[in-house]
Amino acid sequence: MDTMTKLSVLTGAAKYDVSCASSGVSRGNQGKMGSTSQCGICHAWSDDGRCISLLKVLLSNDCIYDCRYCVNRRSNDVPRASFTAQEIADLTMQFYRRNYIEGLFLSAAVEKSPDYTMEKIIRVLTLLRRTYEFYGYIHVKIIPGADPLLVQQAGFLADRMSVNIEQPCEQSLRLMAPQKTLPMLYSPMAQVRDEIKTFKEDRRRLRHTPKFVPAGQSTQMIVGASQDSDMTILQTTSHLYKIFGLKRVYFSAYVPVNQDSNLPALATAPPLLREHRLYQSDWLLRYYHFQVEEIVDPQHANLEPEIDPKMSWALRHPEFFPLEINRASYEELLRVPGIGVKSAQRILRQRRMAAVSNDELKKLGVAYKRAQYFITCKGIYAGSHPFDPVTVRRILAPQPQATQLSLF
Amino acid sequence: MDYLYDGTFDGFLTCIYHNYYDEAADGIYPREFYQPSLMNRWMLVTPDQQHAARVYQAIEEKMAGDSLHNIYYAFLAQYPNKETIILNYIRLGFRMGSTIDSYHTHPHVQPLHKIARKVTAEVHRFLGLLRFSDNGRFLHARLAPDHNILPMLADHFAERLKHERWIIEDEKRNQAVIYDGFSRPKGSRQRHWYIICLDDPLNCEAGAEDPYQELWKLYFNRIAIESRRNLRLQAQFVPRRYRKNLLEFEPFSEGDP
Repeated sequence: MDTMTKLSVLTGAAKYDVSCASSGVSRGNQGKMGSTSQCGICHAWSDDGRCISLLKVLLSNDCIYDCRYCVNRRSNDVPRASFTAQEIADLTMQFYRRNYIEGLFLSAAVEKSPDYTMEKIIRVLTLLRRTYEFYGYIHVKIIPGADPLLVQQAGFLADRMSVNIEQPCEQSLRLMAPQKTLPMLYSPMAQVRDEIKTFKEDRRRLRHTPKFVPAGQSTQMIVGASQDSDMTILQTTSHLYKIFGLKRVYFSAYVPVNQDSNLPALATAPPLLREHRLYQSDWLLRYYHFQVEEIVDPQHANLEPEIDPKMSWALRHPEFFPLEINRASYEELLRVPGIGVKSAQRILRQRRMAAVSNDELKKLGVAYKRAQYFITCKGIYAGSHPFDPVTVRRILAPQPQATQLSLF
Repeated sequence: MDYLYDGTFDGFLTCIYHNYYDEAADGIYPREFYQPSLMNRWMLVTPDQQHAARVYQAIEEKMAGDSLHNIYYAFLAQYPNKETIILNYIRLGFRMGSTIDSYHTHPHVQPLHKIARKVTAEVHRFLGLLRFSDNGRFLHARLAPDHNILPMLADHFAERLKHERWIIEDEKRNQAVIYDGFSRPKGSRQRHWYIICLDDPLNCEAGAEDPYQELWKLYFNRIAIESRRNLRLQAQFVPRRYRKNLLEFEPFSEGDP
């Protein structure tokens, strides 16, 4: 099988993994080729509008597992292929030289056994890091069930590692991936978390301690394959951030690839809007000082599709508003719909010089169309309508499209 | 008094020097595009390294840490009247000192921040959207950026591809950065690259078909998820004006694998 065919098969098999970040570590070129930048660099955007930052391929799609949602499950009749370590290393180096990519995202189906697969992954990483002295970004998947020593070895070579938990709770996991259990997925996460901490502390004493997974770990959950509510998903997300110190939790709107009684039908469109709202909530958790209970609760177990989660929170808490821009704390400013992290920081800097007025807010990058109903400037409320959750919702939520009534 | 300069940063800083030590400037203009009028007197300024260095140092010492960065980035912008915008900003900055960047909405600060931000964004974009082709002798990239971003790209690639020989060509401004792949001189922290002006576009098409170009196009096509197709979103990130230099937007016919 030639490289062209292998690349075609193994890219097609890897594309449902969403993570493509190349951020989190800043490093100069200490070897022959490659460097990384703290904020990450996107190199291209494919036809679905997702960024391409890393060469995302599977080492092999020959899997012993039979997870129901997965395109590579054992019982599927799809073309199978495997790269050799040399082939992947060459592709990475040559793509990187031409500035097509920022590094490698290496994942693999579980071939023969977790240990066998993990060893193969380590062979690729060793070739890149030691032989080619490649210093670009490498994101690698941990194969659940692999020996902790192998995980550690890979951790010294990679920048970021991830285990995909795929389902937010034990119950769905049992239904969807009968050969996997949550403890099996959590134990490598805990290991990586502990070792990151140990090696970070050692580095403070011994300068030559090697870096271990410097860009941290991430994970991904499939949205829309099982029946879980947004609340379950977000609670698990928040739990993962708190317990394992993850850098990112990704959501992947499920694209039906398999016919199965427990899954949505093949013609179902992926729930893109739901995925978008979940990402917005994720941002609220990570940058806006929100707690999960504020975004979703048993009465509102699913996020509203019409308005974003922050607006939804604001309309449920009218007692918090209107807020005086010139007195509110940073955390309070972040709660206002239409004010983001950057504009809140600008407001803080500018109001140290002089009180901020309504006209200036637009120049500071505030989405005034939304913010106007929730704020006062120098004590003056300037919204086009009085603040009242029902009115504001009517103005800001998109109106359902008018449709022709059926005659019959 | 209108000051005319030769388009270089040193020339521009020399004008600022004259603004303070000779006669206040009504405006600063690049020499090629100046239209003399009856009302204004004008003077052609020759760049003076010492005067420029003095202004450079003064900006560094008297204004905030980011100001010099903002000024240089704004200077690289392709923007009418950018010189006047920078002049206003510098005048205000020498009076206010390091607090200047906190006045986000000040009429002399906001326009400068805006164009500096545009240039920063384009630099970051092109760190990714630049494609080298390999012709066997050196790597060659061609681009047509909105702003004059070559100097800001050079350091990044000199670090990243330090053992490669490469040329990045700005086809809009007929300029190119050349890096020869030599390791940096002892004691110097920066790698050496050169900016040259070109008379004609370089002719360095890859002779033989490069197999990795085909592999990249294949990869680009296969990574997209069909049921999430969203060309409008894609166009937000990769505007059409950049696409003619992007390999992956060339037509691609995929044989069934």
